[in-house]
Amino acid sequence: MNKNLYQPISSEIIKIIDESPTIRSYVIVPEEPFKFETGQFVELTWPGVGEAPFTPSSSPADTEKMEISIMKVGHVTELLHECEKGQKIGIRGPYGNGYPLDDFIGKHVYIVGGGVGLAPIRSLFLTLIDRIEDFKSIVCRFGARTPDDFIYKEAVFGHWQEIEGVDMKLTVDKADDNWKGNVGVVTTICNEQDVDVSNTVAVICGPPIMMKFATLKMLEFGFKPAQIYLSMEKNMSCGFGKCGHCMIGKYYVCKDGPVFTYEQIKDYPNIWD
Amino acid sequence: MLGMRHQINRGERVGIVSISKLSVLLNAVAEQIELYTPKKIGNHYTFAKYDSSIETPLHFNNVRAYTPIKDFLFPLSELVAVFSKSVEPNEVKPFAIFGLKDCDLRSIEILDKVFLEEEFQDPFYQRRREKLFIISSDCFDPAESCCCTLFGGRPFAQSGFDLNVSKTSDGFIVEVGSNKGRDFVEKHSQLFTDAPEALLIERDKTRAKTQKQIEQNNSKYELDAPVNKVLENSTDSEVFDIESQKCVECQACTRICPTCHCFYLYDTRQKDYFAKMKMWDSCMRMAYAAVAGGANPRKVLGDRIKHRLMHKFSYFFDRYGIDMCVGCGRCIDADSHGMDIRVVLKKLNEELRTKPKAEVAK
Repeated sequence: MNKNLYQPISSEIIKIIDESPTIRSYVIVPEEPFKFETGQFVELTWPGVGEAPFTPSSSPADTEKMEISIMKVGHVTELLHECEKGQKIGIRGPYGNGYPLDDFIGKHVYIVGGGVGLAPIRSLFLTLIDRIEDFKSIVCRFGARTPDDFIYKEAVFGHWQEIEGVDMKLTVDKADDNWKGNVGVVTTICNEQDVDVSNTVAVICGPPIMMKFATLKMLEFGFKPAQIYLSMEKNMSCGFGKCGHCMIGKYYVCKDGPVFTYEQIKDYPNIWD
Repeated sequence: MLGMRHQINRGERVGIVSISKLSVLLNAVAEQIELYTPKKIGNHYTFAKYDSSIETPLHFNNVRAYTPIKDFLFPLSELVAVFSKSVEPNEVKPFAIFGLKDCDLRSIEILDKVFLEEEFQDPFYQRRREKLFIISSDCFDPAESCCCTLFGGRPFAQSGFDLNVSKTSDGFIVEVGSNKGRDFVEKHSQLFTDAPEALLIERDKTRAKTQKQIEQNNSKYELDAPVNKVLENSTDSEVFDIESQKCVECQACTRICPTCHCFYLYDTRQKDYFAKMKMWDSCMRMAYAAVAGGANPRKVLGDRIKHRLMHKFSYFFDRYGIDMCVGCGRCIDADSHGMDIRVVLKKLNEELRTKPKAEVAK
C-alpha cells in the first residue's frame, strides 16, 4: 500500500510574524520529518476550510521548523490569516523542482524580487549564503509597493546588506517621508553594468506583471532565455501532476516547476496572466 | 498484479473457447463477485448491478455504454483525507464489468498512466483498479458518433481485458486476455467448449465489417497529418474562437469523457472531523486555472477549447506516448449544441491546406 498522497501532515503554528499590512509569516513545526529543497512548494491546509500552495521562505537547512509567508489575497489566504499560535494546520509536499543550485555554481546570481515574491527568494538567499564561496556574487534587486510593504524588513534593511559578496539594492513604488532609497519599479534599479551577463544566472520571483517586465529587462541586458529562472505561480491543487489546474502548455507547474527557465515556457500563450 | 500490464499477449491465443449462452457465463461470474452489465435507458446504455435471481433481459450492447468507465475507478466525488487522523482507502471488493469496448479499455490504459504513475500512485484509484475484472465485448452496429478508428481504436478489444466476448450465429466466443481470465476459464472449464474454426472465421468477418462501417462513417473526417501535428500547427487558428460560439460551457464533454481526469480538492467540516474531498473538475470552467490574485491564463473560452484539445493530442502524447482520446464519441453525443471534435479537427486540417508550406512545421 502506497502512502496516501492527499493526506496532510499535522503541523503546529509556533510563531506568527506580521511582516506587512497584508503579509504574515507562520513558523510551523510538522509532526513528521519534512524535508524540502529551496524553491519547492508545499500545500497548506486549514482543516475544513481550504488548501493553497506556498513556497517556504525558510532555509531547507532548518529541518526542525519551516516558515511560510502568506499574503491575504483570496478566500483561503484570508482565512489563513485568522490562524493563531498553537493552532494545528496541515501540510503536504514538498512538490516540484527547486532551484537547480548546481547550475549556479561559479556564477553571479542576479535575483530580482518583488512583494510576496521575496518569500521563495528568502529561502534561496539563505541557502546561497550558507555556501557563498560557491558563487561569484549574489546581486539582489528587491522592490515593494511602499517601504511598509517590504517583508523581512530587519534582514532586507539590515544585516543582509552587510554580507560580503552580496550587492543589494531596494526600491519602492511609492516612498514615505523616511525613505531615502530609489523610487520606481524594480527594473529601475537593474543596470546592465551590474553583472557580467555571460557568467550570470537571473532568478525572478514576484507578481506576474513584475516578472514579465523583469524578464524583458534581463533579455535586453543580453541574458539568454535559458539563463533566466522563473518561479511560476499557478493554481496548483494536487501537487503531483494529475489534477490539471496548473498546466502551462505541456508542463504541470506543480511537477515540472514551479521553477522554470524562461526558455522552457516562453512560447506558450499568456504565461504572465 | 498491479502495474496493469496484462501478462498475456493477445497474439499468443492462450485460450479461445465458446459458450452457448451469455447468461451461463455471467451467472458464473456473478456467483463469485459483484457484476455490472449494460442496461438500456432510452437510446443509451448504462451499467447496472447484475442479479441472476431476477429474470431481467440481458443486453449485449452494440456500442459502448454512455457511462464512462472512470465512474467506477475515479468516482465523481470521494473522501481522500481526514484531518488530523489518516484515512486508508476503503477496502474494495472484487467486481466485474461486462460490456466494455475497446475504447473503454483504452481509456483505462490512459487513466492508469496518470493515476498509477510510479512516483505518485493514487491509492484510491489503485484499490479499485486492481479489483476490476474486465469482460469486454465486440461492437456491432456502431453509433454515428463512434470514431475510434480515427484515433487508433478498433470495434473489438485489442488488449487490456480479462475475458472478451464475441457474439456469433451460434453462441459466443470467449477469448482469454490475462492470467485472471485464464484462471476463470480453467476453473469453469465445464461451461466451455472449444471454439469451432468456422465461428472464429465468422467472428473475424463481423469484426472487419464493423470496422469498415466506422471507417466509412468517418472517412470525411480523416486528416492529412497526425492529429498532434495538425493541432500544433494551428495554435494561432481562429477556429477555436469560432467553434466556441456554439459552446454553452455546460462541461458535459469533460464529464462524460472517459479519459478526462481533472479534479479539484476541497476541504469540508464534518460533525467530528475535517475532510478533504476529491471531485471531478473541468478545464472548460472559466475559473479553472485562475489564481487567488485573479490572474487567469485561459479567460477566453476558445483558449480553453484549444487547451483541452492540445492536452488530449499534444501534451499528453508528449508525456505518455499515447493520445488522451479514444474516439468513443461520447462528447459528440453529449453536446446538444453540435460541437463535434471531428469537425473541429477537420476545420483545422482544411485551414492548414491553405497555409503556405513554410509556415507549417513538419
